[in-house]
Amino acid sequence: MNDLTCDIGYKSINHVGEQLCGDHVEVVEQEDGSTVIVLADGLGSGVKASILSTLTSKIISTMLAAGLSIEECVETIAATLPVDSQRGVAYSTFTIIRLIRNQTAELIQYDNPQVIVLRNGENWEYPRTETTIGGKQIFHSLIRLQEDDVFIAMSDGCPHAGIGREYNLGWKREDIIKFMEAMSLCGYTAKNLSTLLVDECNKLYGGEPGDDATSCVVRIRKRVPMNMLFGPPSNRDDVDRMMNLFFSKEGKHIICGGTTSSIAARWLDKPLRASLDFVGDIPPIAYLEGVDLVTEGVITVNRVVEYARDYVNENLRYEDWSNGRDGASLISRLLFEEATDINFYVGKAINPAHQNPDLPINFNIKMNLVQELTDALKKMGKRIKVSFF
Amino acid sequence: MKVTVCIGSSCHIKGSRPVVEQLQELIAKEELQDKIELSGSFCMGKCRQGVCVTVDGEFYSVSPESVPSFFEKTILPKIGCRSV
Repeated sequence: MNDLTCDIGYKSINHVGEQLCGDHVEVVEQEDGSTVIVLADGLGSGVKASILSTLTSKIISTMLAAGLSIEECVETIAATLPVDSQRGVAYSTFTIIRLIRNQTAELIQYDNPQVIVLRNGENWEYPRTETTIGGKQIFHSLIRLQEDDVFIAMSDGCPHAGIGREYNLGWKREDIIKFMEAMSLCGYTAKNLSTLLVDECNKLYGGEPGDDATSCVVRIRKRVPMNMLFGPPSNRDDVDRMMNLFFSKEGKHIICGGTTSSIAARWLDKPLRASLDFVGDIPPIAYLEGVDLVTEGVITVNRVVEYARDYVNENLRYEDWSNGRDGASLISRLLFEEATDINFYVGKAINPAHQNPDLPINFNIKMNLVQELTDALKKMGKRIKVSFF
Repeated sequence: MKVTVCIGSSCHIKGSRPVVEQLQELIAKEELQDKIELSGSFCMGKCRQGVCVTVDGEFYSVSPESVPSFFEKTILPKIGCRSV
């Protein structure tokens, strides 16, 4: 194993008027630390396409994860998929990205737009070998991973964006590459890169997609540890132990909570300076030497949880936090974009000042926030460790 | 003179933002920037009495509505200015 990790994100938009997406992305992690990602695009759109693509991606990812060969997967799909009554065929295209122990990527592609690979921010035409399995032409590649490699898989709804509207022949592959090359250098997460690509497609379709469009992005990056302290320990005697553990860890340090940061300031013997810059409706941040970010507690973290929940679902609010200067946006950027491994140090002290029925803050809310935030971060593929004090 | 406003969770909900903004405005209007240092602080431990404000360490309970009278009756006399 090396110190690389894969940031995986995807987003789809549906054919105008359809409730279901005919594209489906399935991500399965294997016990040996490998990951199988399948992007399948079912024939047509709506319910039928959705069933076809879901079956295809589920079957392939499950079988590959169980160690079966690609030949067997393709044969199983051909034998299993329901046949379309109008067209008389069972058909779903697929792209498989298999990340083997964060060292090698295996690409297996059938009839979807060819996966774009950006290396050092530039398009790289990687080698492919062609094989025929069950009459299907399949392209196979093995790629040794490097830091900052970006893999972009798409359904054909992406290059077809804007046909007859913005462009005569759709959004050309070269132009998609140029668009993504520029974006890939800005430090966006895989989820945001795929969102930017699909949102652009939606724009080219004039907000009325003529096909389901999906993109799935994999970013290869170095592991980045981060530490977050939230709440004072329930037992005062544990302050030393909690602070020692927190500050001895590698990576950036975030402290949330007024009382918590005052305790940390006393422990570090440095002044805590609260700013008076109100940005939006989130309380101002503070400054403490030796700590990368100091914010208020529950209100700020509550907003971070809202952003996190949105990010793992529709990802409609990324523009709020990816540019904002308030405490919640700053935490979101550090946790969602920068960190890959996050250690939480959560103090279970009950703040007597908050146990006021007039205030919408209480102990349970705080613990729920931690639970919801860590759940969402795990869905983003982060490694999370939570210690309670 | 140092005026510190609590910007902790509880006081934030009770309106520390409008308190700070009004104080900033009043200080600018009276041109007292050289005499009054306005700063923020996290929880002062008296959330029930928020918004918590200290003037040179002395505690006051202020609300967004009471800022003008607080400024006139407490802050101005302390720096030797007559109320306007």
